[in-house]
Order: sequence, then C-alpha cells, then structure tokens
Amino acid sequence: MSSRFADSAIASSRERPVSGVPESSEPDALSPSAATRALHGVTRFLDRARHRRISLRTRILLSFALGGFALSGFLAATTYSFTKSRLVRQRDQSALSDAYKNASIVASELRSNPTDLTALLSRLQTLGVDRPVLYYRGNWSAGRADFGPNALPETLRERINADGVAARMVTRVRDEPVIAVGIPLDKVDASYFEFSSLSELQATLSSVGRALVGAGVITTSLGLLLGALAARRAVRPLADAAQAAQSIAGGRLDTRLDSGGDPDLEGLATSFNNMAAALQQRVERDARFASDVSHELRSPLMTLAASVEVLQARREDMPERAQTALDLLVGDVLRFQGLVEDLLEISRFDAGAIHLNLDELLVSEFVRQAVSVSSVRDATVLVSERGEQMLIRGDRRRLARVIANLIDNARLHGSGDIAVYVNEAEEPEPISNVWIAVEDNGTGVPEEERSLVFERFARGGAAGRRATSEGAGLGLALVAEHVRLHGGKVWVEDRRDGEPGARFVIELPAEELSA
Amino acid sequence: MGTRILTVEDDERIRAAVKLALEDEGWLVDEAADGESAIDIFHQHPSDVVLIDIMLPGIDGFELCRTLRRTSDVPIVMVTARADTHDVVAGLEAGADDYLTKPFAPKELSARIRALLRRVRPVSPAHARLLFGDLEIVPDEGKVNLGGHEVHLTKTEFRLLCELAQNPGRVFSREELLDKVWGYDYFGDGRLVDVHVRRLRTKVESDPANPRHVVTVRGLGYRLQS
Repeated sequence: MSSRFADSAIASSRERPVSGVPESSEPDALSPSAATRALHGVTRFLDRARHRRISLRTRILLSFALGGFALSGFLAATTYSFTKSRLVRQRDQSALSDAYKNASIVASELRSNPTDLTALLSRLQTLGVDRPVLYYRGNWSAGRADFGPNALPETLRERINADGVAARMVTRVRDEPVIAVGIPLDKVDASYFEFSSLSELQATLSSVGRALVGAGVITTSLGLLLGALAARRAVRPLADAAQAAQSIAGGRLDTRLDSGGDPDLEGLATSFNNMAAALQQRVERDARFASDVSHELRSPLMTLAASVEVLQARREDMPERAQTALDLLVGDVLRFQGLVEDLLEISRFDAGAIHLNLDELLVSEFVRQAVSVSSVRDATVLVSERGEQMLIRGDRRRLARVIANLIDNARLHGSGDIAVYVNEAEEPEPISNVWIAVEDNGTGVPEEERSLVFERFARGGAAGRRATSEGAGLGLALVAEHVRLHGGKVWVEDRRDGEPGARFVIELPAEELSA
Repeated sequence: MGTRILTVEDDERIRAAVKLALEDEGWLVDEAADGESAIDIFHQHPSDVVLIDIMLPGIDGFELCRTLRRTSDVPIVMVTARADTHDVVAGLEAGADDYLTKPFAPKELSARIRALLRRVRPVSPAHARLLFGDLEIVPDEGKVNLGGHEVHLTKTEFRLLCELAQNPGRVFSREELLDKVWGYDYFGDGRLVDVHVRRLRTKVESDPANPRHVVTVRGLGYRLQS
C-alpha cells in the first residue's frame, strides 16, 4: 500500500503542478522563457539601434545593462523555481508522512472504538492535527467547521472515496493556500483527510522572490555602471583620435596618436600617424618651398636695392624720362622687398618657427608709437579713458607690424584720412580684451568679402582691388596670423559713424591697470 | 684719413652694389670675398667698421668675428638671413655689435654704421673717474678697471657701460639703451641689449652668474650699482 501511495502521490503531483500555489506575479515574469524573450528583445533593440544610429556609447551602455538584466533575470528565475520545487517537495513529503501517520492512528482507533468519532477527533487534536476530516460509513465529520468536507476539492474526494487511491492536492481555503491529503482506510470503511497549511511556504517563497528581484535590480544597476565605464573606455581612443585630428587641423602637425600598446587600436593609430606624417611632410615641403624661394630672391634684391639707391642719389643729374623710369624702379623694388619679407614671415608661420618675444605693453602708448613710425604718421589716435589703462602682453616688433599693415591698408583704400581707436572691448565685465580699430574713408568691404580679405593674395571683388595698387596681398594675411598668435581676433566691419569706409578691428587679451 | 669700412660678402654683385652705396656716403670701402682674405686686408688697413655676412665659404662669419675680436675692438655688423633664428644671438655672442637682416636697405646700413662710429659722449666733465666698488671707469681714456686690473671692452660694451654709469642706480629699459647706444628707434631688437649685457658681465663682474654691478631689473631693464 505504501508503494501504491507514493506512486499516486507523484502522479497526482504531475497532474496538478505544484505551481498551482498562488504566488506574486513578478517572479513569474522572471521565468526562463521570459529571460529568453528579454534576450530576443535586446538583440532586436541593438539591431534597431545600429540602424537608428544610437551612439556607440549608449549602445555599449545598454548592452551591458540589458545583459545584466537578462542574466540576473535568468539566474533569479532558475534559482526561484529550483528553490520552490525543492521546498514544495519537502513540504509535500512531510504533509504526506504526517497524514499517513495520523491515518494509521485513525484506523486503529476506529477498529477499537468504531462509534465515538468525537473522541477520535479530539484525540487527533491533542496530537496537533487541527484540521482533520473524516468520512466514515457515509458520514462526514470535521475537526473544524471551516475546514470541512466542502473545503475538499471534489476530484480529491472522488479519487479517495470512489477510486480508493491515496492522493493530495493543493488548493485554497479562505484565501489560505493549503495542501489537502486524502488516504482511504478500506479496512474500516473510512477515508481520512487532512489539511496542512502552505502559507509559511508561500511566505518563504515570496521573500526569496523579493530577494531575487532585489539582487536582479542590483545586478542590472551594476551592469549599467559597468557599461558606463566600458563605454567610456571604449570611446576614449575615439575621443583621443578626434582630439588629435583637431589638433592637426589647428596646425600642430607633429601631433601623433598613441595606441597605448593595445593591438586593437594599433591599426587605427598606425594609419592615423601615417596620415599625419604624410600631411606634415607635405605641408613642410610647401612651406620650405616658399621659404627657399624667398631666400633665393634676397640676394638679387639686395643688389637691386643697393644699386637703386646709388641711382637715386644721382636722380637730379638724369633726364626727365630716366627720372620717371627710376621712380618706377624704386617703387617696385620697395614693393618687391616688402613682398619677399612678407613671404618669408608667412612661411615662418607655416613652419611654426615663430617665437614671440613677449613684453608687457601699455596699449595706448604702444599704439601711438607704432602709428608714429607707420606710413601715415599723423593718423589720429583716439584712446578711451579705460583704454589708457590697459596692458597687453605682446611682441613689440610684430604688433607694430600689424598696426603698420592696417594703416598701409587704410591708406591704400581711402584718402589717407585715418583714425585709430583704442577701446576696451564691448563685452560684459570684467573686461579682458582691448580693441584696436583702424578706420578709413574708402568704400568699405562688402559683407560677403569680409573673411576673404584676410586670405593670402586674396583675389576677386574688393579683395582683388585691395591687392592691386601697392598692397602685396599678404599684409592682411600677416595681420591675421600675428593676431592669432597673440591669442586675439581680427575682423572688418562698417564704420561706426555711418560714413562710408572700413573699420578693421583687432581684439587682444588685455588686463586693466588697477588705478 | 677717411672712415674705412671692410665688407665681407661672397656674392660679388651684392658686394659691388653695397660698395657703391657706401662710397656715396663718403666712406672708403675695402672688399673681401671670404674670411681669410678679410683677415689679411684688416691687418693691412685697419678698418673703422667691419660688415660680415654669416654665410661665407671657408671660415664662416661667426669664426671670422671671433678671430677679429681677439685682436681688435672694431665695431662689427653681422648680416644674417633671418632675424628670428639663433643666428642673431650666436653672431652677437661671437662679438658682433649689431646685425642686419637681408635684404636690407643700404640707407639702413649707413644709419647703423653711423651709430657705431659715433663717439662716446663724455659722461660729465666733473667726473673724470667713476667708481662702483671695485669697478672703475675712466670715460675720457676709454678705460675700465676691475679690482685694479684693466679690462678690455669693445666700443659698444664701453658705450653701454658709460650709458648706465650716466645715472647710477636708475633703471634703463631695453628700448632706451637701444636708442642711446645703437641709435635704434622704438622697435629695435631687445636681444642686442641682452647679449651685450651678458658679454659685459663676463668682463666687469667677478662672478658673472651673480652680477653685482650690472643688475637685471625684472620686466624693466638694467641698472648699474656699486
């Protein structure tokens, strides 16, 4: 009988899976199939992400987070179902063995005292069985009214009373999960039933579930954190490369990328560095060419300049036509000389061979001096009150050149009526820049050509016209380079007073003298 | 006898043109195509100013400069290809008094030469001797003694020292010294002053690394103290 009992118990447990025990819904979502679905979802998401150009960083971050989520979900689900089946089986077996023990007591009691059911039930109660149900000779009697025969599932009753097979089922009575065990007692024409509570088991399981959900949340968060770190690490070489490229674009041609010994990055670093080296070589070759050409031009220029001077000293002895020719020659030798000097200077910029000789300069004083040695010595210099008290750090010779070039430019494009302004920059306090502006009364520079005029040998439109008469076409380009090297800016705009004419402004970092 | 100028330059055409331009100033011009012949010519007819191109065949301009300096305090002008390379400083360290960058206008060259030929202004008739601790300056005789021993200065070094001695203790800015000693306008090269001060210190300071007489005033310039 015991073997029959055991078999049927297993059979019944198969028929009615133990998961019939009610439980909270979260752990259910974490079952293995849910994890698989989640994984599919992740893959689909990552696929979509690739197409939708979600940033690499976000993708890595999400992969880690979702990976952590899926993995912890899978582990939680496995752990939960394993724990649950183990606990349920334990509970099941103890319920069965208790019921079996109690049933044999009931059987022997009934044999010795077949009529006194009340005594029997109270005896059982003293043994700790508080919810027994007895079916004896066609009548039901129960230890507790609320756990009577009606609480027993119909199928269980039939199975015991009609089929005479021991079985047990999980059910709910008054919202309490219970396991109901039934054992036929054929020899005394009775069936013994017993309820035992599963609420403790359920409490254990739901606390395990909660712990697993908590662990899952923590794991997913760790995944997120790890993902963020990994994303940062993974993206860093790209950021480095971008920075290096930017630095090269900014003129630091000797910038190279360090792979840091990472074989995965070696390829990128090597090809990047090869590109940079090729670029550097090319730029340097071009710069050297310009520099070499200008160097070669110096010697003949020296001879020309010296000879022209000798001729000039005898200008009065010459016939008029020769004088005119000499004047042309002198003018162009000077222009040629200026051009070669500018070319040399600009090729030095290109070669990165310029070293500023920085001094602290009182702007107002400096500008007055620079104007006094320029081609328009009597240009008006107007300094604002605060402009008088501003200091810059600059290369005296080069900045004087900047001002001289701007004045030359203004002289060539107006009637020579030039005004130079020194003001604090129009910016929110504290003022950290000074403006030096040169205004002429020429035709001005049209909007669309304002950036072009600072290009070398700028051609076309006003820029071209500006380059014709005397301007080498390098003067303003040199201004731009010098100012940039001083950490400043240069631009051209309309005159402030509404009169026709151009206003060239250079902005330089400055500090105010505290009064 | 007129002022004699020796120009050392390997480019024959430049040499000829510069000679013509300098002769227009009323100076007597000797020419040399390389360092060796320059030394020979200099020994035959001592010049008042020597003009040396750095790029010379054979011994270069720096070497020629040092060789001449060993026996003479003649003012030397170096001609360099670039103003912002170390050539300038190296040339000044070798003993040059001034420099010019090619291509220069001959007018600029004559202005530089005239500045170098200018005589030292007498400090003040009342001060025949100036004493700064162990340093003694005798402007009229062009002599400087350190600890009782005569030290030999070039003309430019001497002029620089006298300029500082005009007003002991006062700070002279580089621009001021450039104007007074070299005759430059506002935008001269401060390195001229710095290198000459350094050279001057090796002669008038017992410890040139920690100068006691020719003192640097950071950000302002130099001053002389006893």
